[in-house]
Amino acid sequence: MDDPKTLDLVKELVLRLLSTRSPSPSGDPSGDLPHALRYAHRLLSSRMSPSLAPDEPAMAESIKRQLAVSGRSADALAFADLHSKLAARSGPGSVRNRWALLYLFKSLSDDRRRADPILRAPAVGGLPALPLDPHPARPTKKALASSGGVLLVSKDPENIREIALREYADLVMEETEVSESALVRDVLYACQGIDGRYVRFDKASDSYDLPESLKLPRSTRTMVRRLCELGWLFRKVRRYITESMSQFPAEEVGTVGQAFCSALQDELSDYYKLLAVLESQSLNPIPTAGSDSGVPGNYLSLRRLVVWLAEPMVRMRLMAVLVDMCRNLRGGAMAGAIHGQAQHGDPLVQEFMGRLLRRVCSPLFEMVQSWVLEGELEDVFAEFFILSQPVKAESLWQEGYRIQSVMLPSFISPTLAQRILRTGKSINFLRVCCEDNGWADASAKAAAHVGTTTRRDGLGYGETDALEALVVEAAKRIDQHLMDVIHHRYRFKDHCLAIKRYLLLGQGDFVQYLMDIVGPELSEPANTISSFQLAGLLETAIRASNAQYDDRDILDRLKVKMMEHGDGDRGWDVFSLEYDARVPLDTVFTASVMKRYLKIFNYLWKLKRVEHALIGVWKTMKPNCIISCSFAKEGPVKMQFVSVLRRCQVLWSEMNHFVTNFQYYIMFEVLEVSWARFSEEMDAAKDLDDLLAAHDKYLNSIMEKSLLGERSRDIIKTLFTLFDLILRFRSHHDRWFERINELQLRGRGKSRSKSKEPGSWVDGGRKAMIQLAREFFRIMDEDLDTIAKEYSASLDAFISQLPMQQHVDLKFLLFRLDFTEYYSHLSSSK
Amino acid sequence: MPREIITIQVGQCGNQIGMEFWKQLCLEHGIGKDGLLEDFATQGGDRKDVFFYQADDQHYIPRALLMDLEPRVINGIQNSEYRNLYNHENIFVSEHGGGAGNNWASGYHQGEQVVDDIMDMIDREADGSDSLEGFVLCHSIAGGTGSGMGSYLLETLNERYSKKLVQTYSVFPNQMETSDVVVQPYNSLLTLKRLTLNADCVVVLDNTALNRIAVERLHLANPTFAQTNSLVSTVMSASTTTLRYPGYMNNDLVGLLASLIPTPRCHFLMTGYTPLTVERQVNMIRKTTVLDVMRRLLQTKNIMVSSYARTKEASQAKYISILNIIQGDVDPTQVHESLQRIRERKLVNFIEWGPASIQVALSRKSPYVQTTHRVSGLMLANHTSIRHLFSKCLGQYEKLRKKQAFLDNYRKFPMFADNDLSEFDESRELIESLVDEYKACESPDYIKWGMEDQGDASVAAALDSKLVV
Repeated sequence: MDDPKTLDLVKELVLRLLSTRSPSPSGDPSGDLPHALRYAHRLLSSRMSPSLAPDEPAMAESIKRQLAVSGRSADALAFADLHSKLAARSGPGSVRNRWALLYLFKSLSDDRRRADPILRAPAVGGLPALPLDPHPARPTKKALASSGGVLLVSKDPENIREIALREYADLVMEETEVSESALVRDVLYACQGIDGRYVRFDKASDSYDLPESLKLPRSTRTMVRRLCELGWLFRKVRRYITESMSQFPAEEVGTVGQAFCSALQDELSDYYKLLAVLESQSLNPIPTAGSDSGVPGNYLSLRRLVVWLAEPMVRMRLMAVLVDMCRNLRGGAMAGAIHGQAQHGDPLVQEFMGRLLRRVCSPLFEMVQSWVLEGELEDVFAEFFILSQPVKAESLWQEGYRIQSVMLPSFISPTLAQRILRTGKSINFLRVCCEDNGWADASAKAAAHVGTTTRRDGLGYGETDALEALVVEAAKRIDQHLMDVIHHRYRFKDHCLAIKRYLLLGQGDFVQYLMDIVGPELSEPANTISSFQLAGLLETAIRASNAQYDDRDILDRLKVKMMEHGDGDRGWDVFSLEYDARVPLDTVFTASVMKRYLKIFNYLWKLKRVEHALIGVWKTMKPNCIISCSFAKEGPVKMQFVSVLRRCQVLWSEMNHFVTNFQYYIMFEVLEVSWARFSEEMDAAKDLDDLLAAHDKYLNSIMEKSLLGERSRDIIKTLFTLFDLILRFRSHHDRWFERINELQLRGRGKSRSKSKEPGSWVDGGRKAMIQLAREFFRIMDEDLDTIAKEYSASLDAFISQLPMQQHVDLKFLLFRLDFTEYYSHLSSSK
Repeated sequence: MPREIITIQVGQCGNQIGMEFWKQLCLEHGIGKDGLLEDFATQGGDRKDVFFYQADDQHYIPRALLMDLEPRVINGIQNSEYRNLYNHENIFVSEHGGGAGNNWASGYHQGEQVVDDIMDMIDREADGSDSLEGFVLCHSIAGGTGSGMGSYLLETLNERYSKKLVQTYSVFPNQMETSDVVVQPYNSLLTLKRLTLNADCVVVLDNTALNRIAVERLHLANPTFAQTNSLVSTVMSASTTTLRYPGYMNNDLVGLLASLIPTPRCHFLMTGYTPLTVERQVNMIRKTTVLDVMRRLLQTKNIMVSSYARTKEASQAKYISILNIIQGDVDPTQVHESLQRIRERKLVNFIEWGPASIQVALSRKSPYVQTTHRVSGLMLANHTSIRHLFSKCLGQYEKLRKKQAFLDNYRKFPMFADNDLSEFDESRELIESLVDEYKACESPDYIKWGMEDQGDASVAAALDSKLVV
């Protein structure tokens, strides 16, 4: 249009058109020229299209009929001939848009026939009436009445309705400073985030608004405001997108954020398309009230805009909400937040959200897939709900990966998430700790089974079931593989058994020798003991016992460990055994687990030591020992001796009863039962977590039942008091019997000398010896008394504390200790 | 450094049951008749070196000493298919080979004569072991060699190896049939004294009961010695399983015995075994559970010691201790349930002067011996009713002694020379005091027993004999 050549051509055409016409009543044709020219420009620049269906033959027929009706049948025939010639022509230079041409001719001829051909809008047909000035000077009532009156009268004889409408339009015009189409354009601008002529963004109120000064009907103002909300929303969305995109590839955005932005972008481009259409429509003149015919229907008024923009508004609002919500979110959290909005009853919203989520979640689903099938964590921006931490191989399983619950989108259930976590973890565990590659087969099989390949974009949002199926299958196979590796290649059970044999003292003969040979060493102060020497002794014990037939690999892992010692600690306090589980089994036997084993070892070792001490006592007064049979001939001393000896034996028997039954309890109710359960659970374990849980349960059950638990603090103190008393009894006993032996030897020496030389018998010496013996027995009796009293007090305390313990199985211990109800009778008789 | 145990088999009976014992051990450890390990015996987990040692050519040799004063039984062994099992240096047969003539004094005296030879053998065997735990003596108390020479050996061992354990498997004579050994009450009494003073633990195997069990439980009309001996070997091997298959507890003899014998004098143990079969003959196969086994072990009919107690006395009899060794496929949880049931039913009476309980040791079963029963059990029990067996012995002795019968045979030997029969009297007194002590154990006041009774001085004097002599 702006081409000067075209403009000249148009001007030429208009001039010709005006000159061929009969002079108008107003006179000078040149006066009409600017009007006519402007009219032509507008006509040409408009994008109006006729409201008629583009039917060429119908149009041709209509022209023919019109010619025939007006009595020009020859012209009609000529037209028909010409039209058929035109239609027959093809090739270069042919007119393609024949219908439009015909329509133009018809309109022009219609126009000709009108009295006021150009400026008066035709009632029927003809060229459309276009306002020449966007702000036409208000036509006076008179002018309107005088100029339009004639035609109107001829068109509508009643004329009343038309007049009323006109008046209304005038009234509207009076109130309105701005035309509606201008507002429409401004609104469309605003919807694109651009300030229009009137509608501008007001920062203070954070909204698009019309200036107060503008005179507009309140309803229009409201409507504009309402429409402009879209602009506000648009601004918000666009700002978010630009901000995010400019930050990329920053960690705050991440791939999910990127996907979100691009999805938003796509939505916006749809929106732009719509706006372009609307904009083009906005060029169509808005029919003023009363002139509801003759204008193409696809004009754009504010009201129409409301309808047009209703749906985009919903979408934009949703987007704005999402944008708001996602402002500080990333990755899985973002997807989760978006998913939270997807639960909507409106199918429109649902569809929209589905589309959006498929885009947003696709990076996440890719991550899940590559994690589950390859163990790869392709998560540069820390968006995935699985987080890896750099750790040592031994704690890879426990601490290497964890679920970041913030990043866990709600469409993935926590159990599924756990399973996902474990599957990838298993792969990594196999790769890093077991140096195994067999998992690749397992995962390929799993993928094939489910029907997914490892290709990208395999799954998307909304296919959570498929995802779950994939994960379950992969988990099943990979965990199975992992279990195979752990059980067969790393012989998990063998190591558990080895630990049970050596650290939990199951290999009795080995423990016994170890006790025998390190015992003397351990009585020394802790700081004088060489752990090298102990290691040598350990090796000796292994060679001397059936442990020698054990796998060398297992035996090599068994080591002496000296715990930290303080002043006055004896070797007994610091000695322990250690089992080096090595990678990958140190995932199960972690440092803290081994610490617990150590605790149990020390406890059982102590128990064994006490047993050992008691057996030592028994040996010194065993049935065929001289001491147990006899002492001196003298009645009262003899009585004293028999008495004190029997008390000693009975006390020993009571202690022994306690220690052996405690050991039986430890063996049957604690170790074996726990082991049996563990063994079952070990075989049933489907994945490493199960195995870990089973092992943990096993350890816990041992700890709890053997009174090592937190809650048994008090009772274990009593128990250790008992142990100490028994050890004290042992050392007292050793001293007593040394003395008794001494006395006996002297006695024997006396009797021998008596038999040899009866005359030299020194009565005083014998008496003195008897005196000595009596004195000694009295002291021994007192000592024995003290120990016995302390012992029974402690034992009472222990037995009375037992029922208060939490663990049910401890009643078995009570049952064993008080099998004959000896203690119950004792306490009831008190 | 296993806790080796040296087995000494003395006399006809001792060698017979000893041989059965070794047969059984060889079977259980997969050792062939020539001492070589069978090809299938690869499963390990057992400790062979407690009872065997390996020669330079790797074949297993029992730590066993075979002694007799007459060659018949030992010749039999040396002509049997097991002849290459034993170390021939460990076999002692008296040169003149005349035996002891069922005379305790003769056996004792001959033992005294050959003590150097015998102790050489024992010392050599003891030196060959790293940490000798003790000796096991197999003998009978009624004949001449096992009782007399056995008694002498007990005294010598006690003196020479005072720190080592001495356990005996002592076969008591069948009281139901008239024995060809008329002096068996004398022999028994004299041996009992040594068992009381010089042994740490006596496992009493009562031929009367063994016969009864063979007839009643195994439905054998006339049980042979071989059949009753196989009962003995079953008991012996079962009682050593915890030593041969190490576990958490009861891995050495001293630990096993200490809990069974809280008071030194009461060290006579009864045994029971179930289910019983002889010579792998399939009997009625029963369902065996831990409870079944433990319950049956408490039934007197399964005890290998006859109860001579009258009803009233029997009801007062009490267990000082019980150890059940359960072999086979056992769920540890069953043990507790069984103990509970036994206590609920009050199936067992324990002493009242101290705490006591049924100890249960679980032991593996040899993988090489097929048994029809899933679970089998041995009971070792210290029960006060054993005193009735001793009383019976005393009674028979008194009858004979009153008649002054057959004493001349004894007077021929130094111990009884010059008509010095004080040995008999001392023995009688000692056994009487033993019976009294067992009786005292039945009362809750055992701790005070003998304290207020000054008449005990005579017993004390008897006890002193050891010191004074």
